[in-house]
Amino acid sequence: MMHLLAQANPPAPMHAVTLGHYLFVSAAMFAIGLIGFVSRRNLIIMFLCTELMFQAAGIALIAFSRFHLNHTGETFVIFVLTVAAAEAAMALALVVLLFRRRESLSGEEWASMKG
Amino acid sequence: MILGAASIAEKIPFLWPEIAAFLATCVVMVVGLSPNLGTRRLCAPIAGLGLVAAGVLAAFTTPEGTGPLPFLMPFAKVVLCGVGLVLLLLASGVVDRDEEAVIAAGKATFNPLRTNRAEFYAFFLFSLTGLMLCASADDLIWLFLALELTSLPTYIMVTMSRTGRDGARSCEAGVKYFFLGALGAAMFLYGFALLYGGTGTTSLRGIERAFVSQSGSGGINSIAMVGMLLSIVGVGFKIAAVPMHLYTPDVYEGSASPVAAFLAFVPKTAGFLAIILLVSTMGWTFARDGSAAGGHSLPQLVLLTLWVMAALTMTVGNVLALLQKSVRRILAYSSIAHSGYMLVGVIAGPGDGTSITRNGIAAVLFYLLCYGLMNVGAFAVLACLDRKAGDDSPELETVDDLRGLCSSHPVLGWTMVVCALGLMGFPPLLGFFAKVPLFTSAIAAGEIPLVIVLGLNSAIAAFYYLQLVAAPMLEAPDTTVRTEPTGHAARPMAALISAASVVGVAVASGPLMEAGAKAGGKPVAKKPAEQPKRPPSGPSGH
Repeated sequence: MMHLLAQANPPAPMHAVTLGHYLFVSAAMFAIGLIGFVSRRNLIIMFLCTELMFQAAGIALIAFSRFHLNHTGETFVIFVLTVAAAEAAMALALVVLLFRRRESLSGEEWASMKG
Repeated sequence: MILGAASIAEKIPFLWPEIAAFLATCVVMVVGLSPNLGTRRLCAPIAGLGLVAAGVLAAFTTPEGTGPLPFLMPFAKVVLCGVGLVLLLLASGVVDRDEEAVIAAGKATFNPLRTNRAEFYAFFLFSLTGLMLCASADDLIWLFLALELTSLPTYIMVTMSRTGRDGARSCEAGVKYFFLGALGAAMFLYGFALLYGGTGTTSLRGIERAFVSQSGSGGINSIAMVGMLLSIVGVGFKIAAVPMHLYTPDVYEGSASPVAAFLAFVPKTAGFLAIILLVSTMGWTFARDGSAAGGHSLPQLVLLTLWVMAALTMTVGNVLALLQKSVRRILAYSSIAHSGYMLVGVIAGPGDGTSITRNGIAAVLFYLLCYGLMNVGAFAVLACLDRKAGDDSPELETVDDLRGLCSSHPVLGWTMVVCALGLMGFPPLLGFFAKVPLFTSAIAAGEIPLVIVLGLNSAIAAFYYLQLVAAPMLEAPDTTVRTEPTGHAARPMAALISAASVVGVAVASGPLMEAGAKAGGKPVAKKPAEQPKRPPSGPSGH
């Protein structure tokens, strides 16, 4: 059954691009996301930074899936995309709610509790 | 490796409790939209019925699992259905109080778009369903989805838990919780991706086998090792462990008390189940030859990470709790500290024995039950009392507000006293019986320095818990701060049940601990083990 759905043969790997390259891109995306999350104060930018980190994991999963020649990683990515979409919907709802109260998108508006 | 139809059918027997809870969720979502007030009020009872059904199904139908800890499921699910019921009692009337009053007075007509009672109970059940799925996870994909199903609804519950002028605080709590939660989720997702990369499979069984063969030939793959560390730190958000603990006090302070009690139990349990499952792929089972028990069979790096996390989490939580004035912030920091205590049990591991005194995992499972009950009791007292009108915040806030509670509201006051003493670990009460196995299992695993840190921290904790005991019991009522009970009959009931179980479960702790020891036990090598014993339902039960 599965062989009907999958490609007959995986395409021959490009010689110049290896697993290491994909992992480097993915690690760089994760790091950029993390740095952006810590350094920026705009709520929407902060949320997009976490999305960047999610997609970094997605790239790593697909690269590993090709490396191990099984479909588990690709399956995982589909679920990751679903969860990312759900989080995006929630983030937008939350940001709209917050914007209505303070007329601002800055995270610093929301720091009254301390200690 | 894609799940075939056969392997999905094999998983159904494990999932009846989740299916029951999910069906109840769907019914609640529809019922809450009814224009008839009587029908809308059915939301909470239906949710309760769903939880009872899930608990009964978990106790009677769950077969032995195939994962590294095959007896974990029934015990964990029954425990969380029991605590879930108490939380549900407490949560009654969190939302729509004002809305329903306006409609009942005839000043407005019912508008399904403006009500959110149904959503609140649906999210409550969704989160508990996710928690049950965490207990049955045998695959990284499953674990990831279960953790997200547990936490996504809680973000909304925090945000919607207060309305009106107070809504600004719950919005602030919601935004902090959501953004740090998304960061934590991204971290453990990346960790899961690297774990898959290092082992070539997402099944926990397969990962365990890959680690065994890798450590036989030159050590565990470094990619998988980095993945494991990232996953532990990321899941640390759910249990409020140290690098990811910053949100806890603000979120507990900003959300309504019933929701704060929910946050202290449900995501924390999910996080601990996830950490136990993840770490069980690396350690413990390596010790099958009996050469080393407990933590020493974990790879050095993982052991060190967990060790530092546990020690820092306990210390930071307890020391910062000393500086707080607000009851909720004290409880929030103490919840961080309790996570640190439980990490000690994770480090100790299942050891060699079936007895709870030598099995750290069993100790953690039992501690989660006890902590859940005691903590719900403490938050229930806060949820039962409103400040008199005219104050800046309607909910009770500082320790001073609790003064003389034992004479003004005896039931609530003594509940607070009993729960605070229990959380402290005072000998005849529940917290003591929960803490002893943590100590003994860590000693059995040879973690003496960690046991010393644990002991010192329990002593520090006594300072701030005694404040919560002394204020209601010894001090005279403060006439300037007036509190009055809220009009929800179910909330004092939740408080009473928790207080009763702090005493009652302690009496019945023998068989419960036995059940916990069984749940945390390792698979029996040869003959198929008998069905795990059902934990007797305590006063919290059905």
